[in-house]
Amino acid sequence: MWMGLSYVCWGISAVLALWMLYDWFKVDTTYSEETLTSSREGELEAVSETHRI
Amino acid sequence: MPRYTPPEQSKVGQIFDIAVVVVAIFVALWLPLKLGLAGAAKSIDALDTKTWDSLGQNATMASIWEKLGYTPETAHDVIRNHFHYIIDWPTLIIMAVVLIGYFVFLFRASDREYREVINEKFEDK
Amino acid sequence: MTAAVETGKTTTIHGDRVSLLRVLGPAHVWALGVGIVLVGEFTGWNFSADKGGALAALIVCWIVGLLYTSVAMIDSEVTSTVAAAGGQYAQAKHIVGPLMAFNVALFLVFAYTMLEVSDAILLGDTIVAKAGVEGLTHNSFIAATIVVLAWLNYRGVLMTLNVNFVITAIAYVSIVILFFSVSPWTQGAVLKLNELVTPGNALPYGWIGVIAAFQFGIWYYLGIEGTTQAAEEVRSPARSLPYGTMAGMITLLIAAAMTWYVCASMMPWEYLGITYYPLWDAGKLSGSPLLEELLFVATLLSALASANGCINDAARAWFSLGRDRYLPSWFSAVHPKYRTPYRSILFLLPIALAFAFIADLNQAITFSILSGVLQYTFMSINIMMFRKKWPLGTIRRGYTHPFHPLPAIVLFCLCVVTFFAIFLGFGSQLIAMTIFYFLISLWFHFYRYKFVRRGDQFTMPWPKPQGY
Repeated sequence: MWMGLSYVCWGISAVLALWMLYDWFKVDTTYSEETLTSSREGELEAVSETHRI
Repeated sequence: MPRYTPPEQSKVGQIFDIAVVVVAIFVALWLPLKLGLAGAAKSIDALDTKTWDSLGQNATMASIWEKLGYTPETAHDVIRNHFHYIIDWPTLIIMAVVLIGYFVFLFRASDREYREVINEKFEDK
Repeated sequence: MTAAVETGKTTTIHGDRVSLLRVLGPAHVWALGVGIVLVGEFTGWNFSADKGGALAALIVCWIVGLLYTSVAMIDSEVTSTVAAAGGQYAQAKHIVGPLMAFNVALFLVFAYTMLEVSDAILLGDTIVAKAGVEGLTHNSFIAATIVVLAWLNYRGVLMTLNVNFVITAIAYVSIVILFFSVSPWTQGAVLKLNELVTPGNALPYGWIGVIAAFQFGIWYYLGIEGTTQAAEEVRSPARSLPYGTMAGMITLLIAAAMTWYVCASMMPWEYLGITYYPLWDAGKLSGSPLLEELLFVATLLSALASANGCINDAARAWFSLGRDRYLPSWFSAVHPKYRTPYRSILFLLPIALAFAFIADLNQAITFSILSGVLQYTFMSINIMMFRKKWPLGTIRRGYTHPFHPLPAIVLFCLCVVTFFAIFLGFGSQLIAMTIFYFLISLWFHFYRYKFVRRGDQFTMPWPKPQGY
């Protein structure tokens, strides 16, 4: 049983790893690099702070 | 003060920098293992007579050891395996110097960079 | 940045920008903090008994508890004010300077990745020990742990931390169940503290053993400061972060005390100091098969919860480095659908896997502790500078910690003691690691920093710091 579980674990790892690689490829080819890296630190803070201070 | 405009980094440059960091991480973590630096000095102070009594175990302790599947012979190597705390002064001094030097450099270089950041940030306004 | 700011419950989109999702509440912060740490009660803390005896393990449990209470208080104040992903990294950037921030982020990534590695090894070894099957190795379980949790993190932070909340709660409850089922109110029936810890063996190495025990005493609480990594994904960081962190610290102090009491009353210290599964062993020794199974499952769950939180935190720190261009900006990508720092998660995955396959548990734990202590040293100095540059009243703080500067001084002194403790066991490793950080700092200061925009790094809407 444990040996079987071990093989199942390898299987799950492989499937999920492949799915992540596939999704990564899909996202990187669908969206522009600019959109993907557009997150900026502290933006929300800047807004909420000015309201509350 | 003019705003500092950083150069755009090329794709190859980015990949190269990632590689540098990865290699550095592996060297830092792996080298001590390879050189056998990891691990503290522990050694077995062997006894000739291996009984629970000579190993300093009372009846309660002995019963628990037995419950865990040990005999006096097998428990001997666990119980008599001791640390030998010796303060090795040269190593201690090297460690202190390296640590203090590292933090001093860190704070001084950071401060230099920080002043630049503050100047640019607050002179813009 | 002007209009187009939606702060609804599920969306936080700045115009056409993709940012992390603000969906977490205080319970998630608790789950992140306690989830990472709780595995320390299931393995790791007990090595402090090896270093100095059972009583030393209890002494460091309390003293290191004090260290971490200081960490939690200091951290809550700074992070409720500097609420950004990267946690201590963003704090360092605003308070000390870029090079410090770069180092702090590396401390974080190392501490969490190595902790994740330790968790995965622990989980694999526990299953192998349970199975007792010839030829079964831990590799497949390690791979599954790391990959499945990375996948969970990839798919979204809310689900990740919901899962963490549930499995952490189960693991925690199992400690409480164990505690109450060994009749803690009577000695002699199941618990035999006075026969196992005697005046003759309480401190087998004397006080130097107590100091040496600090190294693994850290393991009772290491990682609680990781709550700050969620700052950019918590709905109201100024309130949730201090609340979740403090609640987490109280939870852990109780768990640590219960764990010590049960384990020290059930096994001789020589065994306690070398076992990898103190609580599981306690379950076995209780004689109840049900408790044994429960503690086995709880050990696995605590390892999972910890690795899960570590992936979350390490990826946030790495992501922040990319966002400020301290590392290639490629890492700062956010998944447009799941809103996670997906490239950072993927990048750290093979690194964790590689170390899980080559390192052993003790070494991985030590690497993690070293980076942790370097970071706490920074925190004690950081809070001093924070109060000096922005005294109380000059900026809005979500939480102000009491008795300043006492916690900072206590924290600093305890860090020095811990460095000495590490010297007693892993001195050359500490030197090697510090030299690595020093060299990579040179690389950053003289080369990499040229790609960083200067004024843009300071993102908080604060006045100019005093003295500049």
